[in-house]
Amino acid sequence: MISAYFIHLLILIGIYLILAISLQLSVGFTGLLNLGHIAFYCVGAYASALLALNGFPFWIYFLAAGFLAMIFGFLLSIPTKKLKGDYLALATLGFSFVIYAVALNWTGLTRGPLGLPGIPRPTLFGFTFSDNVSFLILTFIIVLISYLIIKKITISPFGKVLEATRDDELATRVLGKNTFKMKSISLATSAFFAGLAGSLYASYITFIDPSSFTLLQLIPVLCIVIIGGLASLKGTIIATIILVLLPEPLRFIGFPSSIVGPARQIIYGLILLLILVYRPKGFYGKVELE
Amino acid sequence: MFSQLFINGLIAGAIYALVASGFSLIYSTCKFIHFAHGAVVAVTAYILYLFFSLLGLNFWLAVILTIIFAGFFGWLINKILYKKLRKRKASNVILLIASVGLLILLESLILLFFGADVKTIGFIKIAKGLEFLGAIITPLQIVIIISSFVLLFLLFFFTKKSKIGKAMRAVADNRDVAEIVGISAEKMFSWSFIIGSAIAGIAGILVGLEQNLEPTMGTNLIIKGFTGAIIGGIGSVPGAILGSFLLGFSENFGIWFLPSGYKDAIAFIILFVFLLARPQGILGRKK
Repeated sequence: MISAYFIHLLILIGIYLILAISLQLSVGFTGLLNLGHIAFYCVGAYASALLALNGFPFWIYFLAAGFLAMIFGFLLSIPTKKLKGDYLALATLGFSFVIYAVALNWTGLTRGPLGLPGIPRPTLFGFTFSDNVSFLILTFIIVLISYLIIKKITISPFGKVLEATRDDELATRVLGKNTFKMKSISLATSAFFAGLAGSLYASYITFIDPSSFTLLQLIPVLCIVIIGGLASLKGTIIATIILVLLPEPLRFIGFPSSIVGPARQIIYGLILLLILVYRPKGFYGKVELE
Repeated sequence: MFSQLFINGLIAGAIYALVASGFSLIYSTCKFIHFAHGAVVAVTAYILYLFFSLLGLNFWLAVILTIIFAGFFGWLINKILYKKLRKRKASNVILLIASVGLLILLESLILLFFGADVKTIGFIKIAKGLEFLGAIITPLQIVIIISSFVLLFLLFFFTKKSKIGKAMRAVADNRDVAEIVGISAEKMFSWSFIIGSAIAGIAGILVGLEQNLEPTMGTNLIIKGFTGAIIGGIGSVPGAILGSFLLGFSENFGIWFLPSGYKDAIAFIILFVFLLARPQGILGRKK
């Protein structure tokens, strides 16, 4: 019983890890204050769920989720390329509201508030990941690959240009780098991994509805990125584990779920405010948000 | 049909304008986006519910206490959160993220204390709508429209004529110069929070009487109020009011073309378009 629950938490940690390290790529490494990350997660989850329900194989709908989210990320980056700071934050936030409203209202495709039930578990080479242990292994492999790719990006020359863009965009352009293109690629890549996380989530829970993709869901991810510290992948991993596990004792003390739900959000909200006031660089952060 | 949509637009616009004007007053003085303003509206609506429906106070006493509470609450938020962030020279982005965090925190607190079920204040019995140019309007809706016009006029008068209002505009215009002539910017920040939140409190009361109370009502209202402010020009209170009415009308006339479920999507799309194409809004000046 306890171990089944523990495996469930580990899978959640894996999904949050992909979301957080990909957000770290756009917010931490590139300095794009992207508050629309949940929208890419939503696009990925719906794309994956709809294709899976129509009988497509796992590797197709999994990658399609990533690529569709990537296209959205790229499209979002075009009109917002000149926005900075709080205006970029608001435009991306507005984008996530638009995606949410579409998920809620395009009932012909998404069934609106009723959600999409009965999403199949992934099947690969004839093997179905129907129990949680095998799903955990699948999650772990995907997290590992995502981590290695993002790590590789950040230590590559391209990653250094991204960091230079964050620190001084004008100087980077003087050096002949097309910073708009860099930011576009960064946002699209970040969206790609958020889409993969959405696909994993949809196939793990086997049910999605628009309520899983609101502002409420952004707060823990944002918390993780800021607490772990901007541009620190190590910090992000530690923060993800801590933040996903932190509200869990509430459940064991025996509070009903009507209290555990809001209490969880209260904990995340409070932590976010405390860290912004007292330790804005997070634990392993190299830079501060500007 | 036209006059009904017009009246619906006017009512929606009046409510958005009350939210947007307080929000924009705070923005123009303090220069950051106080997203948690929506949560202040929601908290005051619940406070009225607590005073009037749960504790059984006299309605008008409850209203006055609620407005005082709203002003105090705004002052407190500024004091314990934003002032600390400003002290260590946090950027606008940090303040914005903090305000989103605060919005979620306050909504979750409402959810914890009052539960997720929908509440009604129920002071005004469901009245029969009056017919007005072929459209139906309830007495409460007339009260909403009139009180928002009166309030917005008072707010305009206050910022133009009163001493605090002038000092607030001086800080908004140029903080350093204002401080040289002896106006304390921090004091004006506090005042803008007190006044802006008191107006939010009135918005909360009117919304609470007109609609049901839900913990997430604050997010919905601030998105609308904020969109109104962006349309009209976020740093200008008259602009925010104009933008809010435009938003109210476009949402309600929009359902001529789109299914009514897309009402919210219309607001988001307008918000998005303005942020990209004209971030300073209709009346705003380009920095």
